[in-house]
Amino acid sequence: MQTKREEINRMVQDVKSLPALPGIVVKLRALAESDAASLQIIARLISSDQILSAKVLKLVNSPFYGFPGRVSTVSNALILLGVNVVKALVLSSSIFDLMEENVVGLWEHSLGAGVAANIITKRLALPDGEEISTAALLHDIGKVIIKIKLKEEAERIRLKVDGGEVSIREAEKEVLDVDHAEIGGWLGKTWCLPEKLIEPIACHHDPVRSVTYADRTAVVHLSDILIKASGFGYSGDDLVPRIQEAAWKKLNLSDHVLREIVDEIEDKLIEVKNFSLEIQSSHEGKV
Amino acid sequence: MQNIPLILAAPGMTLAKAVMRPDSESRMPICGAGTALTELLIERLDQMGIASVLVEGHPVLIEGEKTPEAEIKALDHRFRQVCEDPLMIRLKEIYKDRLIRLSEEWHANEA
Repeated sequence: MQTKREEINRMVQDVKSLPALPGIVVKLRALAESDAASLQIIARLISSDQILSAKVLKLVNSPFYGFPGRVSTVSNALILLGVNVVKALVLSSSIFDLMEENVVGLWEHSLGAGVAANIITKRLALPDGEEISTAALLHDIGKVIIKIKLKEEAERIRLKVDGGEVSIREAEKEVLDVDHAEIGGWLGKTWCLPEKLIEPIACHHDPVRSVTYADRTAVVHLSDILIKASGFGYSGDDLVPRIQEAAWKKLNLSDHVLREIVDEIEDKLIEVKNFSLEIQSSHEGKV
Repeated sequence: MQNIPLILAAPGMTLAKAVMRPDSESRMPICGAGTALTELLIERLDQMGIASVLVEGHPVLIEGEKTPEAEIKALDHRFRQVCEDPLMIRLKEIYKDRLIRLSEEWHANEA
C-alpha cells in the first residue's frame, strides 16, 4: 500500500497536478538547458509574455534584491540575476501568485527571508548572493503545495499547531510523514531547478544534511530564523527554531556582526511591509 | 524611526530615509535623509504619488500598532521553546535591545 509520503511525492512529481504553469515555461526550460541559447533569446521569449515579464520585473525590483537602480528590462534582469534565478522566478510565478493572494503571512515571511539572505550574503561576501536570496524567497514553497493541494491535511496541521506547543514542521511530519522542506525539494526537482537552489530549500531546517551547498543552506537557515525572531509575516507557527550549531559555525559570525545584520534587516523590513501592502492593495483593486 | 502614511506626515518631522521618485527608472531622490518636512514639501510629495515616508523618532501613534512593551512580550513568547539555548538567548537579547531603543524613542515623543 502507498504511504502518505509516497502519495505526496508522486503528486509533486506530476507537473499536471500542480497549478497550471504558463506554456512558455516548457519552452524556457528547454532553452535554459541548451548551451546554445543566448541570454537574448531567453530574454526575448520571456518578454513575449507581458504578464510574465511584469511578474519577473516586480520581483527583481522588490526590496529583497536591493538593486540601487530600477531594473526595467528582462534582459537586464537576466544579466543581473543570471538564467538560473530568472528561471526559478518564472517557474514559481504561478504558485507565488497564489501565495500573494491567499497566504499573505507566508508571502511576507518569504520576502523577509529573501531580504535577510541578501544582507547576510553581502556581509559574508559570498558569491551568487542573488541565487541565495532566491533560495530563501522560495524556501517555504512546500507549504504552498500543502495549502493548495492537501487542503484537508493542511487544516489538521493548523489545528495541531493552534492546539499546543507544536511547530508546523512537527505537525506536518505527524500528519503527512514528510515536512514542507522535503516537499519543496521534490518540487524543485520536478521543475528541474538547479541543485544549488534545491538543496537550501530541502535542508533549510536541517542544514547539517546539506553537503554540496552548505554555505547557501546555512544562510537560508539563519534567514528563516531571523525573520521568525522578528515576528515579520506568518509562516504557520509563532515559534523561533533553534540555530543549528553546524550552520552557525559555518557562517562564523560574531555577535557584533549579527547585531548589525539584525539592525539592517529590521530597517529593510519596513520597505518590505510597504511593498507587501502595495501588492495587497493591487489585488483588492482587481476584485 | 517610523514608517507613516503621508497623510499623517506633519511639518517639523524629519525624514529618516531619502524619498525616491516612484515613477523614475533611475529612482532619483526627491529629498534626502535629515530633511525637515514642511507643508509645501508634503504637498509636493503627495502630488508625486508618494504614499508613505520614514521619519525619525516615533511621532505618530497608529491605530492597532503594538507598543514596544507589547512587542517585547511577543518576542519572549516567540522564543519560549529555545530560552535555554545560549546562542538563542544572545539572539533574543539583540532583538530586545532594539525594542528597548524604540521604546525610549516612543516615550521621548510622548513626553
